[in-house]
Amino acid sequence: MAEVVAPNQPSGDWQGKYYHVDQVLETPGPRTSDAFAAGDQVKGFLRNQSKILVIGAGGLGCEILANLALMGFKDIHVIDMDTIDISNLNRQFLFRPKDVGKPKATVAAEFVMQRVPGVTVTPYYGKIQDKDDDYYMQFNIVVCGLDSVEARRWINATLVNLVDESNPDSLKPLIDGGTEGFKGQARVIFPGVTSCYECSLDMLNKPVAFPICTIANTPRLPEHCIEWASVLEWPRVHGSKKLDTDDPEHITWLYNIASTRAQEFKIEGVTWALTQGVVKNIIPAIASTNAIIAASCCNEAFKLATQCAPYLNNYFMFIGTEGIYSYTFEHQRRPECPVCGGETIDVQIGKEWTLEKLMEWLLEKQDIQIKKPSLSTDGKPLYYQGPPQLEEATRPNLEKLLSDLVPNEGEISVTSTSLPFTLTLRVTYT
Amino acid sequence: MNSPEARTLESATAAFVSFTPQGTMTPVNAGSVPDNKTRRYDRQLRLWAASGQNALESARVLVISGSATSTSILKNLVLPGIGHFTILDAEKVTPEDAGNNFFLHQSSIGKSRAEEAVKYLAELNDSVESVADTSTLANIILKDPTYLASFTLVIAHNMSTLDLVPLSTLLWENAHNKPNPSPPLIVIRSAGFLAEFAVQFHEHTIIDSHTEALPSLRIDKPFPDLETHALALEFENMDLTDHGHVPYVVILVRALHEWKQKHDGSPPKTYAEKKEFKSQLTNMKKKIDEENFDEAVAQAYRAWTATSVPREIEALFSDPACTNVTSESTPFFLLLHALSHYTRRTGLLPLSSTLPDMKSDTTSYIHLQNLYKTRAREELEDFAKVVSGVLDEVNAPQELRTTVEGLIDEFVRNAHGLKVMRGRRWGDDDDGALLAAIASYPAHVATHLALSALYSFEKSQGRYPTIGSADDLGAMTAWVRERLGKAGWVEEPDPEPQNAGIEVDAEDEEDEDAPEPEPTFWKRVQNALGEVARAPTSDLPTTAAFLGGLVAQEAIKLVTKQYVPLEGVCVVDLVASTTGVITV
Repeated sequence: MAEVVAPNQPSGDWQGKYYHVDQVLETPGPRTSDAFAAGDQVKGFLRNQSKILVIGAGGLGCEILANLALMGFKDIHVIDMDTIDISNLNRQFLFRPKDVGKPKATVAAEFVMQRVPGVTVTPYYGKIQDKDDDYYMQFNIVVCGLDSVEARRWINATLVNLVDESNPDSLKPLIDGGTEGFKGQARVIFPGVTSCYECSLDMLNKPVAFPICTIANTPRLPEHCIEWASVLEWPRVHGSKKLDTDDPEHITWLYNIASTRAQEFKIEGVTWALTQGVVKNIIPAIASTNAIIAASCCNEAFKLATQCAPYLNNYFMFIGTEGIYSYTFEHQRRPECPVCGGETIDVQIGKEWTLEKLMEWLLEKQDIQIKKPSLSTDGKPLYYQGPPQLEEATRPNLEKLLSDLVPNEGEISVTSTSLPFTLTLRVTYT
Repeated sequence: MNSPEARTLESATAAFVSFTPQGTMTPVNAGSVPDNKTRRYDRQLRLWAASGQNALESARVLVISGSATSTSILKNLVLPGIGHFTILDAEKVTPEDAGNNFFLHQSSIGKSRAEEAVKYLAELNDSVESVADTSTLANIILKDPTYLASFTLVIAHNMSTLDLVPLSTLLWENAHNKPNPSPPLIVIRSAGFLAEFAVQFHEHTIIDSHTEALPSLRIDKPFPDLETHALALEFENMDLTDHGHVPYVVILVRALHEWKQKHDGSPPKTYAEKKEFKSQLTNMKKKIDEENFDEAVAQAYRAWTATSVPREIEALFSDPACTNVTSESTPFFLLLHALSHYTRRTGLLPLSSTLPDMKSDTTSYIHLQNLYKTRAREELEDFAKVVSGVLDEVNAPQELRTTVEGLIDEFVRNAHGLKVMRGRRWGDDDDGALLAAIASYPAHVATHLALSALYSFEKSQGRYPTIGSADDLGAMTAWVRERLGKAGWVEEPDPEPQNAGIEVDAEDEEDEDAPEPEPTFWKRVQNALGEVARAPTSDLPTTAAFLGGLVAQEAIKLVTKQYVPLEGVCVVDLVASTTGVITV
């Protein structure tokens, strides 16, 4: 092996290591802003001072970590609560069959440090919710490669709440990527300045939900039979034992129940794989799409950290199914956004609405996306999902007219475990 | 794309098969826990199914150079399980190479770049075969002209023009060689934040394009059993439960039949008639909240959308490869030829047996589904007879016959999304196309010209521009000016401030709200040339990774013959965070 480490190089670096990256750091381009401090200053900041957080060490996360390390970020932290599954190996390229079962964050961090000398990747195997504001305050940039809407909403709300106008360091740019099959998107969020994740919730595909009455009474598709097995039959037969969608035996049980029901109704098409796909809500994922979106996220992180080129304002959408199509645009803020708009939401309500009707309306609303909401007004519970005594005590309210519970222009506070903030509704009766 | 409407029963059930140790796949009991290989590939099998996976595992890719972009592409092909890859690279790993390439290591410095890159890529997937070839391209082509024909696809990143011209010529001219035709070629060029790539191929045919267009339900031309069923229902005498569960397809067939009787056999035509038709549907309700009738209103357009052979499919029938079939024709064109005969007789594509989900009870829905399935099977058998006749006519050998007959199901299921693409030879731009592209996509053409200037410089000077050299930038700028002059381009005057925005309409992807006036085309060229001069030899890791994803997606689409590949030149500008496709 060639001994190439010069004595004055920081550990893990060698002459020529940054030849490719340095070309864009040593001179500005025609579209580079005046804020760019070309040369040693920007290199010093990038390599010695900047600290970046990667959320997710899965399909996007593996790519993001490798890219950031090669671009010269040297202090990288990564959070992931998952362990490695065999179905990750078709794209999560930092993992090998021997790693199945181990924490993603730890294995990914070790791999990147081994492959790219001089970089420190600090893993945390756990939930983003375990960390407090002080933890998030230490980073310059947060990059998200998540598959969960809930986790994205949480980190988005957390970073918006972190903004303290008297402290410019409290503004943490959030770069968010997501993929599905041959499609994906990358975006740059400046909490409180640009459109935030919550502002664009209505752009998400509506989750496929089958009405209970279809599942119970009029199944037509194999999916309906599978939902019947998982939603109705599993709890009926197994009581409080939780369905583990990662356990092949549980999937096989559901598959058998669903198949029997399908035969009974002469419905074709229940398979083991479809059963697994429906109950785990599997989204197709491939390495190439993750590479495009992760590269886009890291390109923006690099441009943000160095100012060597203008960064994305603020949304890049990609579709690779029919030719190559992408659309770069500015997603607008939603003034009534419950996270960054800070306003209460005005709702017009019919006089005949019961509390239950309001609950149903809330569950349907695409720009709120809430599960199991608890409602209160003026500090008094209207309906609480738990604990059981409180649920029981407030249940009779469901049938009552809302106008008997809340005055005109009164406010209702909505909380839910799926909602990282309290939503306030101001009701007007029509 | 994941909605239950879009998913067909067939794809849901046919997508999953298991693998035998030999690598070929056979359908197995769909109820068993999948084996390790199926589990590993689960997330991609849900996209391209067993047929796509088989194609991928039979594919052999040659990548010329072990650059960061090259290994990024390969990573995304090795992970999903490409059959074989070769890296052809005679160079040794430099300290610069080890710094930007995730599939090289500090310890690789001084060793063969092909061997080191293959070593680190092969780790990703044990079932992929790999070869490191340390010869030069020129030597290989001289020694064994058939070498290239052993691959399914050739990929070349930042290849010197002096090598690229003979390579692309050889591949283009030998593309019809028997028995070993030369494969398509993907040419990629990148510098810093800018990049472009194009695919050289003669012809690409696609049965399963995964189109989001849905096949016709034939509401306007119901087959006899569907019409009989719709007319036999006694809506008046139904109880509320049954009435609320009549599938909207049946409602529409019935309502259209009644409408036509009152309108001289014509469907609703004018806006007023369509509105009236919809209100008649609403009036059929017995209760205000009958969702099946709401669905009928929402789907009413199906009643006045005439079912016929889609224009894009009709256009394929006049392709010379379709009109003149022989025993040398590909299975695709034999099937297409048969389809042209079939549709000439019927005026319709064979019926697709897929029925979307709709508000209904189980019995009514399954009954309707069976009507469609039975009819679809009859039409499929009818089509199969036409195919058989075509195969007889051309004296198809048994092997070809078996292949064609095995494709009939898939062909009919996807008949409304068939595609034939005719590609182009890699090489110089066409003047007229260049001018047209400038008018439509000035930013992308500017990037394309800047990268062309870089490689024109490399060709004439035998070296790359020196980083940040004003002289070299001047030489590239002069080249673009000359190229544009030859094409007949006339520089537009700087826009008057009050005119800013007027020209914007011609571009379909600029932000209309931008307060800044749109830059002139020449300004865009200068911006792009400035980026190239800033980083002429930078294979930036993020640009490499971005290209790695894009090119691998295209490779997968080409190899699996599923989805629709790129047509034209794909241009990437990671300063502006945009991509575009131009035809030049």
